[in-house]
Amino acid sequence: MKILGRILIILAVFTIVIGVAYVAINTGSSSSSATVPAFERGGERFPAPDGERPEFDGERPEFGGGWIVGFIKNIGIIAVVVALITIPKTFKRRKIAGFNAQ
Amino acid sequence: MENQSKIRTQTKTKLVIDVLIFIAFLITMDPHSSGIAVHEWLATAAIAALVAHLLLNWDWIVQITRRFLGKVNTQSRINYILNWLLFIDGTVIMLSGFMISESLLPFLGISLPGNFAWRSWHDLSANLFLILLGLHTALHWIWIVDAFKRFVFRPIGRIFSTRSRKDIAA
Repeated sequence: MKILGRILIILAVFTIVIGVAYVAINTGSSSSSATVPAFERGGERFPAPDGERPEFDGERPEFGGGWIVGFIKNIGIIAVVVALITIPKTFKRRKIAGFNAQ
Repeated sequence: MENQSKIRTQTKTKLVIDVLIFIAFLITMDPHSSGIAVHEWLATAAIAALVAHLLLNWDWIVQITRRFLGKVNTQSRINYILNWLLFIDGTVIMLSGFMISESLLPFLGISLPGNFAWRSWHDLSANLFLILLGLHTALHWIWIVDAFKRFVFRPIGRIFSTRSRKDIAA
């Protein structure tokens, strides 16, 4: 019962944030951009002129380890952020420990 | 003793859930490799894992929420603000993801009015989430290292040391 109540609180906060974000983004974008026409959202696409292949914007099979590059890139960004914060912190802690030892 | 074992189990559960969330996040961050369907379904399933993550840290959330304007150390305060930013940014990712959904919502027979802005919001919030996740990881780095040592590296080390002892005995 206690857990259910907590889940409801989390979902309520989630819903409030979704509502605020929806209104904010929609208000901000309605003045600047147009709504995507229905044919671009999964419906029938218009044929490309001169028989060209339509631009691909969905899933694309990756060969040659493309996913590894993406994976390493994302881990790399997180690692850099972690290193930028934890390394100076560790040095600071060691310095303080060194002063206390003396 | 019982309390200690409860904390130990809770820490282990936290570690497993956090690692699962982290792996799910890395997979969903690269939709071109995983495919749009996996990207959308996995991200939606991750909501349950995120709720579990919040439930496991519920006491800390309640404690800091109550004391936020009073006596709280700076790191906890920064951590609290960062967690709220993560929550808000994660919600924006979910919302914008649903709005541009190509697999999950059409599968459920729901169609939403598309808007060019949702895609750019989705990309922007996902990139921001990566940085915020890095900061979140950095602030919990000591806990992460400690939990990995206790529940991953030491048990593996023990397996190898008992094996080598058996080899010597044989």
